[in-house]
Amino acid sequence: MERSEVRGLYLLAAFLACAYAMPFVVGAWTGTVRLDERWLGNLATVVIGGIMQGGVYAMFAVGLTLIFGVMRIINAAHGEMVMMGAYLTWVCFFYLGVDPLVALVLTLPVAFLFGVAVQKLLLNAVVGAPELTGLLITFGLGLTMIYAVELIFTTDFRTIPYAPGTVRLTNTIAVGQNRVISFVMAVVISTGVYLFLKLNRLGKAIRATALNAEVAMVCGIDVRRVYLVTTGLAAALAVAGGALVSIQFGFNPETGVLYTLQAFAIIILGGRGHYLGALIGGLMLAVLENLVSLMVPNGTAMVELAAYGLMIFVLLIRPGGLMGVKEG
Amino acid sequence: MTRGEHLRNLVLLGACAVALTILPHALTVYRRSFVLFTMMYVVLALSWNIISGFTGYTSFGHVAFYGIGAYACAILVADYRWHWIPTLGVGAVLAALIAVVIGYPVLRLKGPYFAIAMLGAAEGTRVVATVWDSLTHGGLGISLPSAETSLETYYAMVTLMLVTIVVAYGVGHSRFGIRLNAIREDEVAAEALGINATLYKLAAFTLSAVFPAVAGGIQAYKVLYIDPPAVFFVQITIAMALMSMLGGKGTVIGPIVGAVILYTAQELTWVNFPTAHLIAYGLFIVLVARFMPRGLVGLAIDRGWVRKGMIH
Repeated sequence: MERSEVRGLYLLAAFLACAYAMPFVVGAWTGTVRLDERWLGNLATVVIGGIMQGGVYAMFAVGLTLIFGVMRIINAAHGEMVMMGAYLTWVCFFYLGVDPLVALVLTLPVAFLFGVAVQKLLLNAVVGAPELTGLLITFGLGLTMIYAVELIFTTDFRTIPYAPGTVRLTNTIAVGQNRVISFVMAVVISTGVYLFLKLNRLGKAIRATALNAEVAMVCGIDVRRVYLVTTGLAAALAVAGGALVSIQFGFNPETGVLYTLQAFAIIILGGRGHYLGALIGGLMLAVLENLVSLMVPNGTAMVELAAYGLMIFVLLIRPGGLMGVKEG
Repeated sequence: MTRGEHLRNLVLLGACAVALTILPHALTVYRRSFVLFTMMYVVLALSWNIISGFTGYTSFGHVAFYGIGAYACAILVADYRWHWIPTLGVGAVLAALIAVVIGYPVLRLKGPYFAIAMLGAAEGTRVVATVWDSLTHGGLGISLPSAETSLETYYAMVTLMLVTIVVAYGVGHSRFGIRLNAIREDEVAAEALGINATLYKLAAFTLSAVFPAVAGGIQAYKVLYIDPPAVFFVQITIAMALMSMLGGKGTVIGPIVGAVILYTAQELTWVNFPTAHLIAYGLFIVLVARFMPRGLVGLAIDRGWVRKGMIH
């Protein structure tokens, strides 16, 4: 590693330490931090809850990182795909009476086909074009999706009542059942995708294309097909993320923008194009968000600032993120 | 461009100014406000074009400055009983300061990362406006005391638009503008030629923040009620970008044409289909970015409808 890179890594570590210290400092200042047993229990609860939530974030961020890694396209419609997943699950739950987890069997193929269609109609044309073109096009796609969903479902917030119980770990630490279920599902799906990329022939082709598309092509890999599968997979991951989000939080058509920005923040923190980076970034962002919402007054609104601040500062300090990405 | 052509454009602008001055007396109140908002979008699109068209730094967060201007006007008028005209100046200065503070670090980012960071910055501004309720009244929004005849805001907007057009035209035809274009085409090469890219980018960014702030202030006084979701609406940024792209990024006439066409189309459709025009917006961005990256002006030049040097 070069010296400047090492310095960047130290700076990033210092920044992250500050970012995590911030909610505690603000909490101590405003008096929300009390060092008694109940508060410590709350702290442990939000940290565990954050890790659970982070698993889901990480899973849908992996979709974004996949598209970026393979095609160098920043998919600004990723959060909207998450939102679409939430609505698909909602429709299955309320109209067809299907359990949200079973609904994945129905929604994931739909999502995959949607991704393939997006790739065929829009993204194939912009692979290799300046990154901004891809960003603009996916941004437009995202807007279309938001308002199409709004036309059908209005802007009302929807929720899916599912597994409302809590899991008690100790007297003071309790985590929502739905969070645990989502976390387990997210871990299963992420592991599945990881194994697919590591072991399966097609998965290896995806990784080869991400490393160097031209060499992959020379080796006889059908790069166009890899692109189709990648975007399909990314859309499926987003929709799966949407399903897992929908059983924890309320959503409306415009929540997608927040998920897009969170996913950006995660992959930038982890290192664009890195699978493992996205997982670590997801956990870190979610824990930070939960610390903020516990200790900072007006926390629920401030949570959004955590993602934006993290994203902008990491871009400025070390654009490669934790894992480091070589530009070019 | 020759001196004669500059003169011709000046005469054209003068004719527009005269027409716009007389026009409101012949219009109903509704039509008058339609013209006002069209002019506002001309201002917004032209300002966005200074940083994103001339300089090549696509901003997805310009609505932040519009919102800051609107809040400066609303707070000073409603809570401090100022006359509304000076609040526009306060908004402009505030937006310029914030543009320097945001722009200095963020303009180091390239292409899509700048765009995303600006999107984050604008959303961040909205959150701050929502949370800081001792100053902004938070999510409740601010109602302004009404004392206006719709002519006041109309003439303010005419003035602002003329100033913006003159400034944008001046930038487009000056050494400053040429340097901005050089940065857009190849920043490293521009710096190698001795252009202080950081300084020029920051100047362009600040300039492009000032006019939206004033427009936001006038808009606040026109509609007399603002709240964070309305004045920090992502779609306003999108409108600026789409109007410039449709007309032709990096030209002066392009954003004007784009704003007039798109706002008129929007006005005609939204009454009947409240969300359809937003869907159309999204599709439009996709289509323009995909098939017409140089906009209508580029198309007109390619097809030979106008001579290349004639419009800029």
